[in-house]
Amino acid sequence: MVNVLSLNKLTTKVCLLTAFLLISLVAGLNFGPANFTPGQVLNCLIASCDNPISEMVIWQVRVPRVLVALVAGMGLAITGAILQNTTRNPLADPYLFGIISGAGLGATLANLILGDELSITLPLAAFLGALFAITIVVFIAKALQRMEQLLLAGVAVSFMLSSITQFILYFGEPFATNRVIFWLMGSLARVEMSNFYVIATILLIAIAIIIALHRQIDALLLGDESAASLGVNVDQLRLLMLGLCAALSATIVAYCGGIGFVGLMIPHIVRQLIGVTTLKLVLGSALIGGSFLIWVDIIARSALTHAEIPIGIITSALGSIFFLFIMLRTRKTN
Amino acid sequence: MSIQLQVDQLHWQINDKVILNNISFKVSKGEVIGIIGPNGAGKTSLLNSITKQVKNSANSKLTGTIHLKNKELKQYTSKQLAQHFALVAQKSEPIFSLTVTDIVKLGLLPHQGLFTLDSDHDKEQVKLALSKVGLANSSEKSFNQLSGGEQQRVLIARALVQRAQILILDEPTNHLDVFYQHQILQLVKQLKITVIMTVHDLNLASQYCQRLLLLNQGELICDGNPDEVLSKENLQQIFKLPCLLERDPFTHTPRVYFSPPHQEDEYKSSGANNG
Repeated sequence: MVNVLSLNKLTTKVCLLTAFLLISLVAGLNFGPANFTPGQVLNCLIASCDNPISEMVIWQVRVPRVLVALVAGMGLAITGAILQNTTRNPLADPYLFGIISGAGLGATLANLILGDELSITLPLAAFLGALFAITIVVFIAKALQRMEQLLLAGVAVSFMLSSITQFILYFGEPFATNRVIFWLMGSLARVEMSNFYVIATILLIAIAIIIALHRQIDALLLGDESAASLGVNVDQLRLLMLGLCAALSATIVAYCGGIGFVGLMIPHIVRQLIGVTTLKLVLGSALIGGSFLIWVDIIARSALTHAEIPIGIITSALGSIFFLFIMLRTRKTN
Repeated sequence: MSIQLQVDQLHWQINDKVILNNISFKVSKGEVIGIIGPNGAGKTSLLNSITKQVKNSANSKLTGTIHLKNKELKQYTSKQLAQHFALVAQKSEPIFSLTVTDIVKLGLLPHQGLFTLDSDHDKEQVKLALSKVGLANSSEKSFNQLSGGEQQRVLIARALVQRAQILILDEPTNHLDVFYQHQILQLVKQLKITVIMTVHDLNLASQYCQRLLLLNQGELICDGNPDEVLSKENLQQIFKLPCLLERDPFTHTPRVYFSPPHQEDEYKSSGANNG
């Protein structure tokens, strides 16, 4: 009886969140500097557009942007959830593993060496930088023979790479430096449909692997010793999940720049709302993370009339307010 | 009774420090075995090497053989091993608020492949195990909010779902009050499977284990029933304290009393004997 009730409650919540995600998608397609009625947008999507301009705005600007926001939000939230569950640390997120600072260094070096051809190579350089960072982090943790020190190694590597980046930027050419700094703040303004396909493919592969191994990841929540006694190869599983998270978040950062706090904040909400085991957490993170980034992007493009706000600024601002709120609330209940 | 586990010449050394010194013993099906000894004697190390949690490296060297049902332990994969051994660790603190059912369900892991969902049979197993340990009504409670004794019972329920033939417990009565100490050991004894556990309290070990292994500085000093192992000579030599032995009035098992060194004379003069 209890099980049936809790299952129904879970189904209701998932249905509501899915409905909210669909509403977010529709909202994301309707907001923007060009004024279209919802009817025009719908017509353009399912039948034919009124004119070539609306076709261009909707199909080449809004659709890719909303879809990239969807998969990037899902991906970042899932990355945070998996990193937190596999390292048993509720504060784990791509930032703390040096993934973002590695991407920043990659972008900066590409900027320094290649200059004008930056737009094509920047995502690739950022991706390589992120993978470089995570490789160093894992290498250090392995050298110490203590995988639980991954997070500390990540923080150290993150600061090291950031300081190198800042050194290069400080002495760099101002115009190019600006470009890198703006990229680091995160934006969906220049995304294309091809970016969506790449991120979505890696996201689907990651989700499939997580579903296959969800019980083993759950076992890690009890501690390494217990997980090992249940037949889980702890180090191997942790390394696989880390690689998966690195690939997913590096791809997202490469196209969208630095978007902080999503990986930290969304799993936190999902645990309160849906549950802590891996399947529930990943499902909830996908639904809430996707909706969240779509709405943040709506704010980014419509809050100011003449300019866009970098998306990373909004996520960081919301994230820090959110954490202060959580801390105050826990203090009250205690 | 058939031999389930056979340990031969088990030796573990980290650099020059000997952790386990040529230990050999056999375990028959259904035995409840207690490993006793002072701190640092190698009790937990012995459990860890039996469950293959000790790995050889440049500094750490483990030699000797362990046979599980006539097959050497090395030939088992970690998943197969998990189908034979269930481990209840000394301390288990899930990081997030897992429910009792979430934890017991993990016992199914060694029997499931990738992508499998819980069958009705699996759910039935979880329910059955919870009712066996007396927690049928707590299935949706958060594990972290249970008392120490209830948490131990949840972990034992997980071991039952694991369908292992050998239950390994590391200090199952640690941090528990007297009521829960007896409740847990009573439960373990009633399961009618092979149990190997480390026990700190000699009197509890004497009451609930049919066989004791007394370790000191990595060596197996004595292996036998409580009457053989808990002798005055053994205990005084190893724990370095004067002791008295009596019979437990309820279970008639040996009961040990230690006295601080300077009070021994007072005991003698007051007429106590070692019964």
